[in-house]
Amino acid sequence: MEAEVIKAELVLPTHMSFKRIQMYGKYPKGQSKVRWKQLKQILQAEICQNYSPDEPNYVNIESPPSMQPCKRICDITGFEAPYHDPRTNLRYANADVFKLVRSLPNEYVQRYLALRKAAVVLR
Amino acid sequence: MPFISKIQRQTDYNRFPSSTPIVIDNGASYFRIGWAGETEPRVIFRNIVQRPRHKSTGETVTVVGDHDTALLKHFDCTRSGPRSAFDSNVVFQFEIMEYILDFAFDRLGANGSRIDHPILITECVCNPVQSRSKMAELLFETYGVPSVAFGVDAAFSYKYNQQRGICQKDGLAICPGFTTTHVIPFVDGEPVNRGCCRTNIGGYHVTDNLKQLLSLKYPHHMARFTWEKIEDLKMEHCYIAPDYALEARLFQKGSKEAEDKTRCWQLPWVPPPIEEPPSEEEIARKAAIKERQGQRLREMAEAKRSSRINELENQLHGLEFLLQQLAQVEEEEISSFLSKTGYVSKQEIESTLTKVSQSLRKAKGESKVEQAENEEKADSSTSDKYPLINVPDNMLTPEQLKEKKRQIFLKTTTEGRQRAKQKRFEEELEREKKTREDEERRLENPELYLEQMRTKYKDLYEKVEQRKRLKINGGHANGNSSGGVGRGERLNAAQRERMRLLTTAAFDRGKGEDNFGAKDEDWQLYKLMSKDNDDDDDGSDEDEAELARVCSRLQAIDPTFVPKPEPTPSQAATTEVPRVRPLTKEDFQVVLGVERCRCPEILFHPNLVGIDQAGLDEMTGASIRRLASKNEALEDRLTSSIFMTGGCSLFPGINERLEAGIRMLRPCGSPIKVARALDPVLDAWRGASAYAANLQFQQQTFSRVDYYEKGEDWLRRYQLRYTL
Repeated sequence: MEAEVIKAELVLPTHMSFKRIQMYGKYPKGQSKVRWKQLKQILQAEICQNYSPDEPNYVNIESPPSMQPCKRICDITGFEAPYHDPRTNLRYANADVFKLVRSLPNEYVQRYLALRKAAVVLR
Repeated sequence: MPFISKIQRQTDYNRFPSSTPIVIDNGASYFRIGWAGETEPRVIFRNIVQRPRHKSTGETVTVVGDHDTALLKHFDCTRSGPRSAFDSNVVFQFEIMEYILDFAFDRLGANGSRIDHPILITECVCNPVQSRSKMAELLFETYGVPSVAFGVDAAFSYKYNQQRGICQKDGLAICPGFTTTHVIPFVDGEPVNRGCCRTNIGGYHVTDNLKQLLSLKYPHHMARFTWEKIEDLKMEHCYIAPDYALEARLFQKGSKEAEDKTRCWQLPWVPPPIEEPPSEEEIARKAAIKERQGQRLREMAEAKRSSRINELENQLHGLEFLLQQLAQVEEEEISSFLSKTGYVSKQEIESTLTKVSQSLRKAKGESKVEQAENEEKADSSTSDKYPLINVPDNMLTPEQLKEKKRQIFLKTTTEGRQRAKQKRFEEELEREKKTREDEERRLENPELYLEQMRTKYKDLYEKVEQRKRLKINGGHANGNSSGGVGRGERLNAAQRERMRLLTTAAFDRGKGEDNFGAKDEDWQLYKLMSKDNDDDDDGSDEDEAELARVCSRLQAIDPTFVPKPEPTPSQAATTEVPRVRPLTKEDFQVVLGVERCRCPEILFHPNLVGIDQAGLDEMTGASIRRLASKNEALEDRLTSSIFMTGGCSLFPGINERLEAGIRMLRPCGSPIKVARALDPVLDAWRGASAYAANLQFQQQTFSRVDYYEKGEDWLRRYQLRYTL
């Protein structure tokens, strides 16, 4: 280990005096074998518990979908976009932007669409 | 404004008695830890962990928080990106959490066999019980903590500011955080979870949006747009417009105000060194050097040549001497004499002599004509070399026959070579004559000549064009008129012509007898057919060559001549040829115009990034609705004390926007007051610290015994009482 790295104390030491069980004791092979439950699974487990629906829980307090009309702004420039390109599914503000839209390679089109989660996702 | 982590190891851990709680603000962006009762957390760092491999030793190490990138170059960070223990605002990766807690306690100065202090740790609103219980387990089991309390960071911030009069005991706390935004109503100083509202949008999404937009706009500078840099940009330059549509229109018009609002980030750029034209001395010096080099080379060549000449002369002398000696020697002793020298016969010596003298003459650089003469002489002596040719076959033995064949072959090849040379010479003369004539014509009558050239060019061009068109169109034209079913489109014009000839020849005289071939001219058909293909291509090549020649001539002599562009296959002219020009300073500028207000706008309109939930202003309405208090006065009290906390509330202009937004939702005339926390970032920790310093705090914690005895259900219902 280089001197400057040691001096900066960059690396977490492996043995901590205040711990009852050290990391290498808990996870002998480096990474933990336990697959941590993702949030979705945690929430599903919670829902299954059949608590009273009146009680607020993590899922309950989520906000409802927006009632306001959707604001349409141009994907590329950010101005107001009354128009929509059927081929690429992008929104654009005026004719110059349209020229740009049509000349974009497909990769960029998908990235612009991914900004508002409208990209075609192939799984 | 950009955050600086504090990770100095603290030295006064042992000064604090066991009753002093440790206060932890476990946020998705930053982790803050310190002692209760203090105003500043002792240790602050980014809540991420990296596990790179050390380049030389190969071991995997853990690095917590943000570190100097210069030091990280010792590690191979390709496989290990920064990982967070959070998913949205819930902790789910407890291994990473353990690393983080290790680091935090270590920097706090912890020593001893366990962490012997009660711990107050923050969590999200309505934390799922699994996450809570795992956290409690971690703290109790691994660190040996005596007691633990969980609280909501926004609530602590609210209480802290309430004590300072920023907000009242009934109010709304709006907390735009890193990954989520919460709206929590407070009634009588306690948060009402029933009325809580959460949208999954936060500072992370704003930064990510800005990063993507800039990367798409400036793809060649993508490497510069790191997460940290973009966060800095966001904190410095982004603001919330009071009305986004108006702002956008302002930028679209490109007015003066828009210019003022545009920020420009100049990336480091070194202008390429200007190459000044080499000065006189430079040129002279270079020329002198070249001259000297040339001189040296010539001298070397000269030396080599003279040495070779000497060598050859010596050889020549030796051979002549040998011949002389041979002449003097007797007949019988020739063979023995020759065997000593290494030559087999007199002829051999003579032939080597002639060869050596020839090369000597060449080395001495005598004129070509003499060489040609010599060659002719040499050629004329070939008849001596092919003695067997003229001898008739029946007088020769089989070996001699073979010899004769070889000699015939040699002779014919040399003769053929001579003829080819002759022809080339004549062609050369012919060409020179033509150009001379051309020049004469041009000199005597320039105008006429020019006209002739132009017409010739035009004709040739048309012919080439037509042929090309035929070739293409021949493939695309209707297949109806061509012979062969379905194969018409594939044959080009020449092939179709052939087919046509064949069919006409075959079927034309079907009525009467088949008397094809009776006349001699009929057989010319085959010549036509077979040569058709070749002729076409050759002819087109010739024409094109001619065209090129004429074009170059015209370009040379006619200043007004513009060559017609080569017919390229038609493409949609959408992509312009990339103009290669030297890079200027402007290419290295990143302009932030409307992006400044476009990115934070997503806090108010999450559907701009595809998240179909309510924005900040709508959330307050939803929260008040959920309370369902039916008490107008209470609602008025709530809206008159709206409190903003959390890192994202630092955007300029957010207060006014929120106020305008809420005014749209509430009945006319209701009081609305929006206040921001004293320090939106650190107030959560400060509130928690003040809370933990209270004597009653101990009653709000739960110990290990409680945790194991009372079970999960009790843990789920566990809730702090914030007013002590």
